[in-house]
Amino acid sequence: MKDEKVVIVLGDISHFLFMPLQEKFPTRVYNMGICENALISVAAGLGAQGFHPFVHTINPFLTERCVEQIKDDLCYNCFGANIVSTGASFDYAWDGATHHCYGELAILRMLPGMEVTQPGNRKELDTLIRSQYNNGRPTYFRLSDHGHNLDVPVQFGQANLLKDTGSKLTVMTAGPILGNVMEAVRDLPVNLVYFSTIKPIDREMIARFKHTKILVVHDAHGLQEAIHEVPDLSVSYHGLPDRFCVWYGTVHDIRRQIGLDPAGIRQAVQTRLAAIR
Amino acid sequence: MAAMTPFCREIRRNILMASRTSGHGHIPTSFSVVEMLCAAYDTLRHNPQEPQWPERDIFILSKGHAALGLYAVLAQYGYLPAEELKTFGTFQSRLGCHPDRLKVPGVEVSTGSLGHGIGVAVGMALAFRIAKSPRRVVTLIGDGEANEGSVWESMMVAANLKLNNLTVMLDFNRSQVRSLQIPNPADRFKAFCCDTLEVDGHDLEALKAALVKPAETVKAIVAHTIKGCGCPTLANNVFEWHRKSPKPEELEFLMKELEAA
Repeated sequence: MKDEKVVIVLGDISHFLFMPLQEKFPTRVYNMGICENALISVAAGLGAQGFHPFVHTINPFLTERCVEQIKDDLCYNCFGANIVSTGASFDYAWDGATHHCYGELAILRMLPGMEVTQPGNRKELDTLIRSQYNNGRPTYFRLSDHGHNLDVPVQFGQANLLKDTGSKLTVMTAGPILGNVMEAVRDLPVNLVYFSTIKPIDREMIARFKHTKILVVHDAHGLQEAIHEVPDLSVSYHGLPDRFCVWYGTVHDIRRQIGLDPAGIRQAVQTRLAAIR
Repeated sequence: MAAMTPFCREIRRNILMASRTSGHGHIPTSFSVVEMLCAAYDTLRHNPQEPQWPERDIFILSKGHAALGLYAVLAQYGYLPAEELKTFGTFQSRLGCHPDRLKVPGVEVSTGSLGHGIGVAVGMALAFRIAKSPRRVVTLIGDGEANEGSVWESMMVAANLKLNNLTVMLDFNRSQVRSLQIPNPADRFKAFCCDTLEVDGHDLEALKAALVKPAETVKAIVAHTIKGCGCPTLANNVFEWHRKSPKPEELEFLMKELEAA
């Protein structure tokens, strides 16, 4: 680690992955145990003293369990830390609803001073982390092991316009589900806007499509709420149901079940297209 | 119990006055921590003229609801004008009923929600160790606060890291007699592998001796205290006075009790 201010705090996840780093930098890599509330507070203390901590463990335990630590110890105190979760949305499909996590982006974006990212793949994560990790602010990075395979030149706080057809329908999406969305709409007459940052949201890009109908395709809350920072939009949604997804299998199984596979997304987009013609 | 020093009596007077003027205040809990706070500020390296002095040690009031006690102590040590205590809890005051580090000189962490400051203290102590700094961290928690699981998570992490630059002071004023008691806190700290001491929490010299005593690992000081110490009316009626401002005639009576203590 070139930056001597970086400290890794693990919640007993990815331990073996970080062992070589821990051997090389024993004072800067800690597997602190399964105690997420304390991990966030400890990170706040490290951040308060000028370090750039990375706190890492499984998504719902690191974020939803620790909302108050993130709110008080990081945001309210203005102490910086990087919160890096693993297990986006239905990545741990087989583990059931306790391990599914699709609400944390929406929760964290409500906290003053919080930066919230939703990278779609490793390359995007790399870009966003390098851009933000040492700015002294609390920043959330959401890892997924099912990233999309598109090459999108992301920048923190900026959306990417991937299709501009002059259509009256604009699809907006974020994170790894972009792969399925792109496959679904590649040949359809829609605009497509992609977000890798949820907070701050790129209002300018949203406003550009204010005159169109907007369809948010999502496998996590956050984007749909953030979009409404721009007033007077006409928005509908496709994706998450208001019930627990109580199936197992793989992320692909659950996406198919709730209509977030390419066929399900395509059908939803075509339905909206038919309605505005 | 040790006799109250004039310095600590003056602090308690200021707490009563501020509570009376503002209409706010957790007086009994603030009274129970006065000697603990003074012992901390007497033994830590700090500079009221330069609150952000880079070499300073850190004190964190994890039980943030004793903020009025902290403000009165900070005023006595020169961080604040004593006159400012009268603004406590008012709209534009710097002095809220829980402390804000971005407003009050000498406050290192904004606290209020219980079980948070102690975890931040662990992080700061770890930061000082990584930086090979001699700086120390002292945090003060309450026995009610010790109901929170995050307190014990933090203790486990600190003990596992053997953070001997961290001291956790427990204000054992038995406030939890009403709900979830911790009858044997010293045994619990020992079970959590802390270097554990027990002292009279109103004995300034004993507290200071405990604070400066070297430790092999994280140090826990169980301070036996009396909620409302100095005013029998408060100490014998802690539930009535938990969060209450005295009326003029009550203030007069409490002041008399305090002078007699």
